[in-house]
Amino acid sequence: MDLLSLTLLGGLLALDGTSLGQFMVSRPLVAGVLTGWLVGDPVLGLLIGGILEVYFISIFPVGGAEFPEGGPPTMVAVATGSMLAGPAGVALGTLLGFLLSRLGAFSTRILRRLNGRLVPDPSRKEVTPSRIIWAHMGGVALDFLRGCLLSLAGLIAGGWITRIAEDVWPLGMPGTYVLLAVGACIPAGAFVDALGGWRRRGSLFGAGLSGFLLASFVL
Amino acid sequence: MNELGRRAQLSTFFRSFLIQGSWNNRTMIGGGFAFAILPVLRKLNKGNPNRLTEALQRHSEHFNAHPYLSNLALGATCRMEVENRTPEEIRRFKAAVRSPLGSMGDALVWVGWRPTTVLASLILALAGAPPGITVFFFLIVYNLGHLALRAWGFRAGLEQGSQVGDSLRDAALSKKADRLSAAGVFLLGGVVGLALGRSWAGESWPIILLAVAGGIWGLWLGSLVGNRVWRWTFWGISAAIAIIFLVGWVG
Repeated sequence: MDLLSLTLLGGLLALDGTSLGQFMVSRPLVAGVLTGWLVGDPVLGLLIGGILEVYFISIFPVGGAEFPEGGPPTMVAVATGSMLAGPAGVALGTLLGFLLSRLGAFSTRILRRLNGRLVPDPSRKEVTPSRIIWAHMGGVALDFLRGCLLSLAGLIAGGWITRIAEDVWPLGMPGTYVLLAVGACIPAGAFVDALGGWRRRGSLFGAGLSGFLLASFVL
Repeated sequence: MNELGRRAQLSTFFRSFLIQGSWNNRTMIGGGFAFAILPVLRKLNKGNPNRLTEALQRHSEHFNAHPYLSNLALGATCRMEVENRTPEEIRRFKAAVRSPLGSMGDALVWVGWRPTTVLASLILALAGAPPGITVFFFLIVYNLGHLALRAWGFRAGLEQGSQVGDSLRDAALSKKADRLSAAGVFLLGGVVGLALGRSWAGESWPIILLAVAGGIWGLWLGSLVGNRVWRWTFWGISAAIAIIFLVGWVG
């Protein structure tokens, strides 16, 4: 898949994250499968998107908090992961996803500062309809541009790293899964804590675990 | 709200999807609020540009709420503008509702609805559903709730104006958020159970034991550190992957 389509997809995913609608197309699960379709491997997209989704489960964008970005980083993770075969692709894709999600948070902080200059200050300036429309749509356009740049940078870096990282991942699929699954349990624990803690919700967690574990054996 | 006309109402509703477009630390979604309410203000202040500018000035001041539930404030403010309430009354109303709309929306959507639908979709994926079905299920179910909340909020606001607090109380959003949280934890247990069940069939015992022990440690650590643990997890797992790559590269 060409660089341009993936970059534009990254821009659109960034828009969905905050500026436009928040239909959750930018969630790692969705962004992963969408990118998977574009690069011809939706199962890998679901795998990397699903893994990143669990890592993002305890992140709530409350108030003006800074939080890691999910959409464009997952797109880069899947696109990069598809360039390497097997567990190396999953590991490298996840690594890039994590690093870019922090870069996404940083670029969002800069965007918010720029928006602060764009939007007219009602205590100082006259706020006309055209000024509010231009400032607002300017903010949306900047967010799209930010998503495109973040994605492009990630894709270029991913392409370069895959050349170095080819055939050097020493773990097999089981070892890679264990590493990522153990890591994913940490935010999962924080999620239970945020939703009432083990004392209050532990039995529900246990019921879900045992019920679905049993179902996986029976079915 | 016949005074507003269907077109201005619809235009404001659709613009509300962009309410966070110019999010900034000074006015937060104030600019987005002014952008969304502009069609209504234009309709009400036709032929009076000075009044329109004054109204826009007030509405572009600092405001913040959950993006979906901000429609409640948006609808109510539209009604208050139609009722020709004083600028001070409107300002007071917006200041009074922003915190409850923020905290209720966060608890209901970000902590309740979104994780619950995401985890249900992950269960579907682990049960063997194809990627397309998994994503389609998530987007449809999540957005049914999302769009219903936006539409309900805007309509309730338009109908009740400054008395919209009654609708909020009747809707008992906190109770719904609590039920969704409970469902979320149950489904998280389900995701762990299914993942474990799937690996049981194909993997060797040492690997499964390692995963179970590591998983229990991870869950304990996460609940011990709390919500901010993601920062350390992202860096920690990134470092672990990078070191393993390095070891493979050197070796």
